[in-house]
Amino acid sequence: MRIDRREFIRATVTAGVASAVGADLLVPPEAQAQPPVDRWQKAPCRFCGTGCSVLVGVRRGRVVAVRGDAESAVNRGLLCIKGYSLPKILYGGDRLTTPLLRKGGRLVPITWDAALDLAARKIKEAIRAHGPESVAAYFSGQSTIFEGYAINKLMKGGLGTNNLEGNPRLCMASAVAGFYSTFGMDEPMGCYDDLELTDTVFAWGANVAEMHPVLYARIVARKHQDPRVLLVSLQTFTNRTSDEPADLAVVFKPHSDLALANAMAHVIVTEGLVDREFVARHTVAKRGLEQIGFGLRDTDEYGGRPPSWASYKPFADRGTAIGFDEYVTFLEPYTPEYAEQVSGVPAAEIRRMARLYGEPGRKVVSLWTMGFNQHARGTWINNLVYNLHLLTGKIAAPGNGPLSLTGQPSACGTTRETGALAHLLPAGHFVANAEHRKKAAEIWKVPFERISPRPGYHTMEMFRALDRGDVRVVWINTTNPFQTLPHVGRYRTGARRGGERFVIVSEVYPSETSRLADLVLPSAMWVEKEGMFGNTERRTQHWAKMVDPPGQARDDLWQIVELAKRLGLGSLFEYGKEPLRKALFEEYRQWGRGKGKDLAPYEVYTKVRGGLRWPVVDNRETRWRYREGFDPYVKQGEGVRFYGNPDGRAVIWARPWEPPAEAPDAEYPFWLTTGRVLEHWHTGTMTRRVPELHRAVPAAPVWLHPEDAKALGVADGGRVRVASRRGAVVATAQVGGRNTPPRGTVVVPFFDESVLINLATLDAYDPISKQPDFKKCAVRVAKA
Amino acid sequence: MTHDRCKTAVAAGAALALALGLFAGAALGQAPGGAGARLPRAYPGAPPLVPHDVESRQGLCQECHATGAEGAPITPHPDRTPYCVQCHVGQERSVTPFVPSTWRR
Repeated sequence: MRIDRREFIRATVTAGVASAVGADLLVPPEAQAQPPVDRWQKAPCRFCGTGCSVLVGVRRGRVVAVRGDAESAVNRGLLCIKGYSLPKILYGGDRLTTPLLRKGGRLVPITWDAALDLAARKIKEAIRAHGPESVAAYFSGQSTIFEGYAINKLMKGGLGTNNLEGNPRLCMASAVAGFYSTFGMDEPMGCYDDLELTDTVFAWGANVAEMHPVLYARIVARKHQDPRVLLVSLQTFTNRTSDEPADLAVVFKPHSDLALANAMAHVIVTEGLVDREFVARHTVAKRGLEQIGFGLRDTDEYGGRPPSWASYKPFADRGTAIGFDEYVTFLEPYTPEYAEQVSGVPAAEIRRMARLYGEPGRKVVSLWTMGFNQHARGTWINNLVYNLHLLTGKIAAPGNGPLSLTGQPSACGTTRETGALAHLLPAGHFVANAEHRKKAAEIWKVPFERISPRPGYHTMEMFRALDRGDVRVVWINTTNPFQTLPHVGRYRTGARRGGERFVIVSEVYPSETSRLADLVLPSAMWVEKEGMFGNTERRTQHWAKMVDPPGQARDDLWQIVELAKRLGLGSLFEYGKEPLRKALFEEYRQWGRGKGKDLAPYEVYTKVRGGLRWPVVDNRETRWRYREGFDPYVKQGEGVRFYGNPDGRAVIWARPWEPPAEAPDAEYPFWLTTGRVLEHWHTGTMTRRVPELHRAVPAAPVWLHPEDAKALGVADGGRVRVASRRGAVVATAQVGGRNTPPRGTVVVPFFDESVLINLATLDAYDPISKQPDFKKCAVRVAKA
Repeated sequence: MTHDRCKTAVAAGAALALALGLFAGAALGQAPGGAGARLPRAYPGAPPLVPHDVESRQGLCQECHATGAEGAPITPHPDRTPYCVQCHVGQERSVTPFVPSTWRR
């Protein structure tokens, strides 16, 4: 949608009126200064899962400015500094503008035709010699919905392999497994409106201030309006979310959140704070498998031998129904005093927090992101926070509910919803389900037999298989695994072992991954192509192509289709005269219709500023799922129905605290935890090329506690070496500033390719979600 | 280990004193409150950049920017505090670009 100047002014005025009647406009008034542009067009931000809407200022075919969209219900005109920096992410001086092929150890330019012909030949040769499971694709929560749907169709419906993963496996898989195991259906029931409607916000291991700044701004604005609103920050180190205006800032020992959450449930149960009617009508209690390991070695789950495709069988949990009384018995050991021993949080504070959840009439929202998801028991801790909301009945209602925040702009919209993961088909369908495969064959017009019933390799297994040589050809697109995988040294070496391995990388800038590629394909990014993203709160947003990509760079959907043609599968993407993206979206829409995942027609999204939250039924979006009066799938008189499960009930899971995969010891006495900073996105390939962001945080520091720094003889700004059993980095120590770890913990962000902290991290993963744990491993720290 | 708002405020006060002492004459060349160091915005409508260090714990900006102490610009949107650093970031001006940018207005 194009917005001319008059429309833009009208939109701004409308938003002003909205503000006067109560929808608080967040944009600072002096930011209204307008640069000279030819036109403004709507788009979602390229960065995090918040899904802010921006207006993009285009002049003479280039992006010159952005503004926060004052009409957007997400950000109401406000952005963070990354969002304001969007115009410059397109214009790093080293954009990839031509395909590159490795020849004699160097990447040299070749033509698109030669590049695509070669990619297709490598894929066909691997399949002919070793079967379809010898090829794989690794896409992204930053791919568009069109791209996610198309690569899913090509891999599963075309090539006949389910070896398709997305980097949300490193980001959101535990949230997905948590949603499925508790509610039988993915994605949050609530939405951002809850932030203004609640009385209490819990941030569980999530530094919302830096990672979801606009949502944090909404929380802070709410606190300014009503000082009785409480913000509780539970973290493994003190960070900006713990600073003013947080009302209670708690630091707990890594991995002890399982004990903390169970202790809170213990208090809720023993102090009579349970909503008994809600529990009786809407829940069942279950207990799953325990002592399930950490997937640390290839051989862990396969009787001591590395898996081959024939023996590959990913772990599956098995729940057994228990009565509520048995759940109460399970909780008995989790007294606040026991949890204090495990977590370091005083029992009195645990009781205080539990009573906030339990207090009748108090509304509570829980937020979390990578602290829970990148966790060797990530599924369990997701289950346990749901327990707190289910026990108290504070769920799926305005101002009440758990809200799992997404990391990436379309981890939900693309990877989760189009089913671009190894076990999924679109809109919550599964490859292992014959009925679902039958539906796939019908919608995709492919033979039923072609769609494999076996889940493909999950991400960690996919890169282990590349290292072992079981996967020969991998296409990596819109993501940078050779910087982001845990224990990345192994997987970097694996990629370059030679033999039949062939690594194809679609990228916009040179990265740690493109440098290890055999073939590099230059991609278009963000508003250089048409796209759609889906954010945390089920909101689907569309943007139009606004400027041309540089040189010969081409968008990823074009790459998928051109490759398909060369694989003899071009018919998958032939829709006659219908524009390709519209046709793909309309086909994709069939999957979720009537399944609680209804989407509006393509044309609607092209027009609606700020997008719509699914299910969209009769052109109306849904703010609270599972709740009568808000969710069209809940019938009159039902009140609440968790219809993802056949019995309409959510599961209260008895999940124990178990020790972590690795903990500090005499040899490696520090915890290492990794993460991001506000100014940089993921591996910094975009944000480091924005001069203002690079000058704000030029390098990844190692945050140390002042006493630890003193004991090590390291001054602020001095060099330190952080080493684990797997690898080491040298970086600059920072004592103070935005993060203050407790004694015995160091914090290192992962954006800096000269501080490859994932050389040190541990590739332990949650066996249920297959998501690795980037937040805890043991390291030693020394003056360098 | 826990702390509440009261302790945060005490720590913040101490950090301010530290920051004012520490960053005078630091690489940025401007102590907080230093005058005349306004940096160009990325483009019209982009948030102003901060010509002094902002890494110290939050809650300190208003010490000067609420009142104009030490010649600091007074914030036109005090309702957005204390999280100024969401939009306004410091600049290590001695740092060379990661890669030269071809962006232009």
